[in-house]
Amino acid sequence: MIAFEPTEDQRLMQDAVAEFAKATLLPRTRELEHARGVSEDIRRTAHEMGLGLVSVPEAAGGQGQGLVTTVLIEEELGAADAAAAFGLAGPGAFGRAVIELGGPERAAELLAGFAEEGGWDRFGAVAWSEPAPCRTHEGFATKAERTDEGYRITGKKAFVGNAALADRFVVFAQVEPERGWGGIGAFVVRRDNAGIRVGERHKTLGLDAASFGEVVLEGAVVRDADRLLGDGGEEGFTRAALRFFVKHALVVAARAVGLSRFAFELAREHCDTRVAFGKPIGHFQAVAFTLADRAMDVETSRWLVWKAAAAWDAGQSERDALLASARAAAHAFEATMRTADDCVQLFGGSGFIRDLVAEKLMRDAKQLMLAAPTAEQLDQLASAIELGQKLDPALVLPTPDTQAIFT
Amino acid sequence: MIEFALSKKQHELKEALQSLGRHVIRPMSLDMDRTKEVPESFLRNFMMMSRGFRSDDIAEFQEGAPRKERDPSKPSEANRTAVIAAEELAWADAAIPLSMPGPGLGAPPVRATGTPEQKKRFLGMFRDMDTGPLKWGAYGLTEPDAGSDVAGIRTSCRKDGAHWVLNGRKCYITNGGRAVWTVIFATVDPSLGRAGHRAFVVEKGTPGFEVGKIEDKMGLRANETAELVLEDCRVPEENLLGGEEAYRSKEGFMTAMKTFDNTRPLVAAMAVGIGRAAYEYARDFVKQNYVLGRPIPRYAAIAEKLAKIGRRLEAARLLVHRATYLADMNIPNAKEASMSKAAAGQAATLACIDAIEVCGAHGTLQAEHALLEKWFRDIKVYDIFEGTGNIQRVVISKRIVSNLKSF
Repeated sequence: MIAFEPTEDQRLMQDAVAEFAKATLLPRTRELEHARGVSEDIRRTAHEMGLGLVSVPEAAGGQGQGLVTTVLIEEELGAADAAAAFGLAGPGAFGRAVIELGGPERAAELLAGFAEEGGWDRFGAVAWSEPAPCRTHEGFATKAERTDEGYRITGKKAFVGNAALADRFVVFAQVEPERGWGGIGAFVVRRDNAGIRVGERHKTLGLDAASFGEVVLEGAVVRDADRLLGDGGEEGFTRAALRFFVKHALVVAARAVGLSRFAFELAREHCDTRVAFGKPIGHFQAVAFTLADRAMDVETSRWLVWKAAAAWDAGQSERDALLASARAAAHAFEATMRTADDCVQLFGGSGFIRDLVAEKLMRDAKQLMLAAPTAEQLDQLASAIELGQKLDPALVLPTPDTQAIFT
Repeated sequence: MIEFALSKKQHELKEALQSLGRHVIRPMSLDMDRTKEVPESFLRNFMMMSRGFRSDDIAEFQEGAPRKERDPSKPSEANRTAVIAAEELAWADAAIPLSMPGPGLGAPPVRATGTPEQKKRFLGMFRDMDTGPLKWGAYGLTEPDAGSDVAGIRTSCRKDGAHWVLNGRKCYITNGGRAVWTVIFATVDPSLGRAGHRAFVVEKGTPGFEVGKIEDKMGLRANETAELVLEDCRVPEENLLGGEEAYRSKEGFMTAMKTFDNTRPLVAAMAVGIGRAAYEYARDFVKQNYVLGRPIPRYAAIAEKLAKIGRRLEAARLLVHRATYLADMNIPNAKEASMSKAAAGQAATLACIDAIEVCGAHGTLQAEHALLEKWFRDIKVYDIFEGTGNIQRVVISKRIVSNLKSF
């Protein structure tokens, strides 16, 4: 039956996270931005609440919750500080990648450390993008060469979230250059592995509290067992990678819903109180209709994200869940940009000044749109599914050839 | 719980209507458009056939039967189910749901404000349609000089003994010519604004109540749109909806508005149905003509266009589900109902425009199995009737901007 009511348990978690976000993240959003990171005390509190472990399997010490619960919580974080949501400790994208690409047993093993003491300072990362598209062949320039016991990885990855903080990575590299995007592989590389180092941290437009940077691989040697094979074979690997990216996009989209809500509420409050020509500016139709359209953006984004999350949790066909997720995330990303842009616009000049958070929301919104497969990539994916095309990795994965993304 | 799956009954209803639409309704769609008529034999068969699927919930909508006493712990699914049926029927041919025998738009005001006797008399008369003649009800609010500005209606009413005498013209009345009765809105004194409004059930054949012009429209041609003329029309006092007592407050006007909270999501669902028809047509056209043969350079652009149509429609559909979910839960939903209508009217109109663009010249041809040009004509009015897109934004604005009474 169609219903829009979180369960009692979900409601309790949502309320607790909302309270944390409002009391702890919101007042310190500029502080975190300037520090370019989330402070230790906040990360400790979040870890105690189990925030980074909601969707981590119970076998690995997590809460084993589904995506619906996850998106409810991520919206609350995004509604206070979307940047902090990327910068809290935990496995994050790494966790989602190893669950999809490594399977439950491997995931339990790789995620074990995050629930333990000290987990507040433990990060994982996914190294996917590269500084530039590869010019010699389709696929990645970073290569994974076969050795007797495993692989030797060499190359440079870029736009990696929490690169400098992570103690374990999923690194994507080219195994068979002649097979293009069909010849890529995923490898777990630990920070203490020889031959991996963190490169430069990127200076970015927004999401400053989260860090993005380069990861350099100089002949890092990994074992056979460190290769994550997804569902097996080229097609199975692509499918698992696609699931990872799409679910990751959905989580980022939930943060976008939160950011949209924040920007909308901020704009609405301003339009209620700012008086011009003798009345609140919200009483002018052009302003009120803009608010009405953005209110629709917030609601549609939220329901699309919920529906996609519910599709995964309810075990609907992978095709339907992928399609719902691609639509949801593409819409939520575009909607959050419109909402944050209109927020600044409705504030006028003051929206442009850093005394107010509006300008930060606009920068964060744009940055966030690139922190997962983009709306353009998701639209291509949705159409490929709808047109019954073979899900060619070059078409459906967020390759640097089409548009580089942050992970 | 957060859930988007249809119940078994809803799923069966959807499947059955889709099959009927594909095999029976669509093949006669263009003919109905040309003859400006839905064959009575079809309507009669449909009523008989759909009996099995008509739960009491659906019967309420189709026959206007009085709402039964409900167990409050088991909320109705009537609104949620009705929009699923409406989308499917409109997907086949939008003139069908609009031409369905029954009290139609006249039902909500009778149900909302009619006395028990009035409900029994005016809604009860639709129960014998299985054996007796088909009947329609109608809703007469709009006038040549007052549409969205309901408070501006000029049709007058004055009490004369045991009768009310009505004078004025009503236009764009759905099924107005064939209706056995029409809920007519009139005013005792235009200077009183909304407080002066009265609603009457005016029966066909009442002296002074004539059908004027039957409109020649861009689309929805198979559905009758009529002008109604009232010239010294004497309506018995027992036909004043709710009796005189009901008009001591502002109830008169509220009657008109209550209708829309219930019907906007229904109309929005129909818009989504037409939009979906156009989307699927364009998608299948691309599949058959381009993708499976040879890719064409503009493929990515087409894929993006299709994806955007798809997700806009899905966003609108979820607003419809949300609005009807609230209605079933007896939670006020005026804002959400307007959101669903605003989003659906726009999304579906764009869907039809873009679908033609995707198909190129083929999209504009009129043929038995090429209905895209017809849907393009049918859809436009969905952003107009039941409140234009701008009117929906007025309704939404008033519920998000503080102290906004009017612009």
